[in-house]
Amino acid sequence: MIENLVEITSDQLLAETSKSKYESYRFVTSTCIDNGDDTIDVYYHFDKDYEMRNVKITVKKGEEIPSISRIFFSAILVENEMKELFGLNITDIAVDYGGHMLLSDEELSSPMLRQQITIEQRGGKQV
Amino acid sequence: MSSTVIPFGPQHPVLPEPLHIKLVMEDERIVEAIPAIGYVHRGLEKLTETKEFTQNTFVVERVCGICSVMHAMAYCQGMEELMNIAIPDRAKFLRVIWAELHRMHSHLLWLGLLADAFGFESLFMQAWRNREKVMDIMEETCGSRVVISANIIGGTRRDLSKEQMVKINQIVDEIKEDLEQLESVFLNNYTVKHRLVGRGVLTKEDAVEYCTVGPMARASGISMDLRTTGYSAYGQLDFEPIIHSDGDNYARTYVRLHEIYQSVDLVKQAIAKIPEGEHVIPVKGVPPKGDVISRVEQPRGEVLYFMRGNGTKTLDRLRLRTPTFANIPSLLKMLPGSELSDVGMLILTIDPCISCTER
Repeated sequence: MIENLVEITSDQLLAETSKSKYESYRFVTSTCIDNGDDTIDVYYHFDKDYEMRNVKITVKKGEEIPSISRIFFSAILVENEMKELFGLNITDIAVDYGGHMLLSDEELSSPMLRQQITIEQRGGKQV
Repeated sequence: MSSTVIPFGPQHPVLPEPLHIKLVMEDERIVEAIPAIGYVHRGLEKLTETKEFTQNTFVVERVCGICSVMHAMAYCQGMEELMNIAIPDRAKFLRVIWAELHRMHSHLLWLGLLADAFGFESLFMQAWRNREKVMDIMEETCGSRVVISANIIGGTRRDLSKEQMVKINQIVDEIKEDLEQLESVFLNNYTVKHRLVGRGVLTKEDAVEYCTVGPMARASGISMDLRTTGYSAYGQLDFEPIIHSDGDNYARTYVRLHEIYQSVDLVKQAIAKIPEGEHVIPVKGVPPKGDVISRVEQPRGEVLYFMRGNGTKTLDRLRLRTPTFANIPSLLKMLPGSELSDVGMLILTIDPCISCTER
């Protein structure tokens, strides 16, 4: 159903993102889906002249994912959001809210996940 | 020079919704801006996982009142693609009519807020008086003013009669005439220009770098408008994106104001070309397993919907990215270098919708 879909591994993500930027794609957003087992699908959506390019990685919960915000700064909000709401272990976000961009300091669960991961497991520092 | 941190918001006279920005200042000049959101997060994406796919149309409309029609339009369009449903041509034109009416009332609302922010009370009232005419059309055609529930999967919930279309034609003409009188104040008044021209500049290069969307991108010279892809009935209507190259507060005002004229024209074209026939078809079955993406051009810019069906009545995932969410990083680029007195106006000119951003 999704056109121009590229499936990669998380260690190929930065190279694939850099390639998209080099080819003048615009970063649209990312989408995170809890598969209900121990994995999460993460889509990165890019656009060039209304043609979308979608990059998909499937990661295990707790597995580190490099941030693309050093390549596309506009990814900072969505990466912080995914880190909080899905407990994704995204490292080196350009502006890292340490798991509290949307959630209060007292909130330790990842509300969009089907199986809960606590904030202490995510790491990151408060800005 | 020592720096000072000034908290801007979450409650501020220019902000209709809560947004907090930490402004790191050196004297009167901003050197860094860090946003803080989360005041109105409602978890609507999570809610959609517990509702049936037909009910979600009414959930996504509640993401934002100002662009509720376009939220439902994007969702329905995506679900129709996922379920392989071809809606009647009449429904496509009806969707365009209501969508463009919503764009008009969104931009008129914003023009009023802008006038209010720089203290021009009578201009604010004139802009909103004009907006009321659009709201009256909504009430007359759908029974409510803001969240009108015009779209459903398979077409539209209501039809428009010939008499209603004649009346809409007359009212949008009146709105255009009234706006022509206001235009000279918004775009030529000395005091207004003083607050807008050359302030909050986002260059075309920066707009590209920060992945800006909507009127903000178009005001920085980027010709990007998803309606030109021809979704719904837009492919059968003539229009060009409204562009300005200066990238400042004035350019953003110019683009939004002229997009109201454009919406008037699109409504009139759609009414002239709308075919006879059904406005909805029955939907059978449930969404199959699979992922789908749907995008439409809201008043603030591109909105993206992602849906994952699982072969049941509920979805595994509904994700939406709203235009303000995409434009906040551009705001962080525009704020450094500006003076404190310009912050309110600058934030307002991105037309922030925080309930959209947080969902």
